[in-house]
Amino acid sequence: MAQLPPQTIQRDPQLFYWILFPITVVMILTGILRHYATVLMASPPKKVEQPALKEQRSLMHGVAVRSNFHVLTAPSFKARREFLTTAFESGAYLKDPERRGQPPANPMTDPGAMDGMMGMMKNNMAMMVPNTLIMSWINTFFSGFVILKLPFPITIKFKSMLQAGVATKEMDPRWMSSISWYFLCYFGLQFVFNFLLGSDNDGAADAGNGPQAPNMFGPGVDADKQFQAEAENLAVIKHYSVLDDVEQRLLEGIKTR
Amino acid sequence: MPTEREFQVAPIVPESVMHNTKALSNLQSLTASIFGVAAGILGLESYSGFLFYFIFTILTTILFYTFRVAPTSLKSGLGAFDTSRYFRTQYEFWAGGVFGGLAGYILTWTLFYGLVRA
Amino acid sequence: MTSSLLRPPGHLSPATALQLSQQAPIIIKNSPGAVTASALSSLFSAPETPELWTIYENLLLSCLRTGDEESAHLCLGRLVNRFGDDNERVMALIGLMKEADATDDATLEVVLKEYEALLQENPTNIPIVKRRVALLRSIGRISDAVTALIGLLDFSPTDSEAWSELSDIYFSQGLYSQAIFALEEVLVLQPNAWNIYARIGELLLMSVKSGSGDQNDSAKQLGEALKRFCRSIELCDDYLRGYYGLKLTTTQLLNDPPKPSKQAESDGLAPPNLSTLQKLDGLATEKLGEITRRFTAGEKGWQGFDEAEIAAAKELLEKSSSTTVR
Repeated sequence: MAQLPPQTIQRDPQLFYWILFPITVVMILTGILRHYATVLMASPPKKVEQPALKEQRSLMHGVAVRSNFHVLTAPSFKARREFLTTAFESGAYLKDPERRGQPPANPMTDPGAMDGMMGMMKNNMAMMVPNTLIMSWINTFFSGFVILKLPFPITIKFKSMLQAGVATKEMDPRWMSSISWYFLCYFGLQFVFNFLLGSDNDGAADAGNGPQAPNMFGPGVDADKQFQAEAENLAVIKHYSVLDDVEQRLLEGIKTR
Repeated sequence: MPTEREFQVAPIVPESVMHNTKALSNLQSLTASIFGVAAGILGLESYSGFLFYFIFTILTTILFYTFRVAPTSLKSGLGAFDTSRYFRTQYEFWAGGVFGGLAGYILTWTLFYGLVRA
Repeated sequence: MTSSLLRPPGHLSPATALQLSQQAPIIIKNSPGAVTASALSSLFSAPETPELWTIYENLLLSCLRTGDEESAHLCLGRLVNRFGDDNERVMALIGLMKEADATDDATLEVVLKEYEALLQENPTNIPIVKRRVALLRSIGRISDAVTALIGLLDFSPTDSEAWSELSDIYFSQGLYSQAIFALEEVLVLQPNAWNIYARIGELLLMSVKSGSGDQNDSAKQLGEALKRFCRSIELCDDYLRGYYGLKLTTTQLLNDPPKPSKQAESDGLAPPNLSTLQKLDGLATEKLGEITRRFTAGEKGWQGFDEAEIAAAKELLEKSSSTTVR
C-alpha cells in the first residue's frame, strides 16, 4: 500500500494568539470562578430547632453505639442496648411524637426540604451555565478554524466531532477545530486546578460530582421508621470487645517487633 | 467476621489515608503534565508517545515506591512491592497513576506538539 | 511555633503558653486584620486561610491564660470583625472575655445571666451552653453545671467534648462509675482515642483503691483496668500513661490478688493468670525504664513526653525496685 504523504496545512500563527490562548485562559478562569462561586453559594448550615436536633443526634448516637460496640465491655454494652432499644421503640426521641405512624409530609411543603433541593440546584447551575455559555461562545466566534494537530492517529468516526464546522471531506481526522480543543481542556485541566486551588476544589467539571453524603435526615424520610430499624440493628448485634485477649495481643505484638 | 474485627483492633485513620492518596494523585497529575510537555517538544507521535507516557509513569511510581514507601514498609515486615502500609489497594498505587494522569498528559502533549511541530 | 498555635492550647505547659502569648503582638501585627471588601486589594494581600482564624482563637486563649488581656482583646476584635458578633463560636469567646475581665462574683453572675438570656433566645447555641457549664463549675455550682450538661447531652448525645467534661465533673465528686460511664460514651463516639482508654483504666484503678466500690467487684474492675491500659498501648506505641497505669495495675494484682469472682468470669473481664501478669509487669517495667532513660538522655525521637509524667514514672520504678530487693 502506498503511503500517503502526511498532510500539511499552512496555518496562520495568529490563530494561536487569537483562538488557542483565549480558550485556554477562559477555561482556567471559569474553573477558578466556579470554585469560588460554589464556596460563596454554599449556604450556611441552617439552624435546627432543638427537638429536631435531638432527633438527629439521637439517631446518630444509636448508629455510633451500633458501629463502635467493640469498645465497650459486655455489661456496659448490654445496658446501653437495653436503654436505647426501648427508647427508640417507644419513640422517645421523636421530633413530634403525636405524628407517629402517619405518612411523611409532602417534601414540597417542608421548607427544610426545599432548602436542600435549592442547594443541589445551585450546584448543578454552577456546572451547567458556564459550560453552555462557553460552548456557544466558541461556536459563534471560533467555528471553522483548524488550530491543532493531534499527535496520535484516531479513526474517521471522530472526524465529525473534532472537525465540527469544518466542511473538508479529505482532511485527516487528526486535525482538530477549536471546539475539540475545548473538550480537551474540559477533561485535562484537572491538574491545573489541583495546583491553583488545592486538591479538593470544585473547579473542574467532573470533580463536582464527588461522593455525596447520603442524606439521612432528608425530606420524606420517616424518622420513626429509622428509629425502629436502628433498634432492630442494635438488638441483633452479637457483642464482642476489642478488650478480649488484648493482653495476649500486646505481649505477642511487642515480641514480634 | 475476622476481617472486620481486625480493622477494629488495628484501626485505619481515614484522614491519613486521604492524605496519602492526595499526595500520590498530586504527584501523578503533575508528572503526567510534565511528561506531556516533554513528549510534545520531542515530537513523539502515536504509539511512541503513549509508550513514553507508560514507561515514565511506571518509572515515577517505582521511584516513589523506593524512596518514600519502601524504607518504612520493608522495615515493618511487609514484602517487597507491598504498599498496604500506606495505601488501601495495590491497584490504586501501581495503576491509578497511569489512568489518572492520562487526560492531563494528552492535553499538554497535544498543545506542545502543536506549538513546536505542526 | 505556628503548629502549636493550630491546636487548642489546653494541653500546653504554662511555659509554652507564656511563650506563645509573648509572641502575640508580633503575630497580630504580621497577620491581616480583616478581609478587605475590595476584590482588587484582596488579590494582592496575603490569602485568608482557615488556619489564620484558628490561630487567632488559640492565641486568644493563650493570652487569657497568661493575663495578656490587651492582645486577647485585639484577637477577639479581629474575630468579631470577620465573623460578626452573632456567630455562635465568637459569642462564646466574647463571653469568655467577659468572664476573664470580671473581678468579683457579682460580675460573673451578670455574665451568667447574659448566657441564660442568650440560651432563652436560642437553646441550641452549643458553645454558649458549654460556656455556661464551665462558668457554673468555676463558681462552685457543681450540681447546676451537671444539670446543664445533662440537658445539653439530652438533645446532643453525640458531643464527645461534653461527655468528657461530664466525666471530669463526676470524677471530681468521686462518682467513679458515673465518670466511667461518661467516658465510655466518649469512646463510642471516638473509638480510637487511646488517652480515653487509659483514662478509663485510671478511673477503674482509683475506684478500686479508694474502696468505694463493691469489694467483690474489684477483680472485675482491675481486670478491666488492665485490659483498658493494654488497649491504649496497643493503639499508641510508647504511651507513657498507658504503661504507667499497666505497671500500677499489675503491681496491685500481683501483691494483693483479689478474690476471683463469678461475675468477672462471665463478663470476660477476669484478670489473666499469674504468668501473663508477670510478663505484663516485666514489659511495663522495661518500657517505662526505656522511656525515662531515653528521655533523660535527650535522644532524638524520644522527646515530647511530659516532664511531670516522666518524673512520676521514675519514682514508680524506684519504688518498685526497692520493694523487690526487700
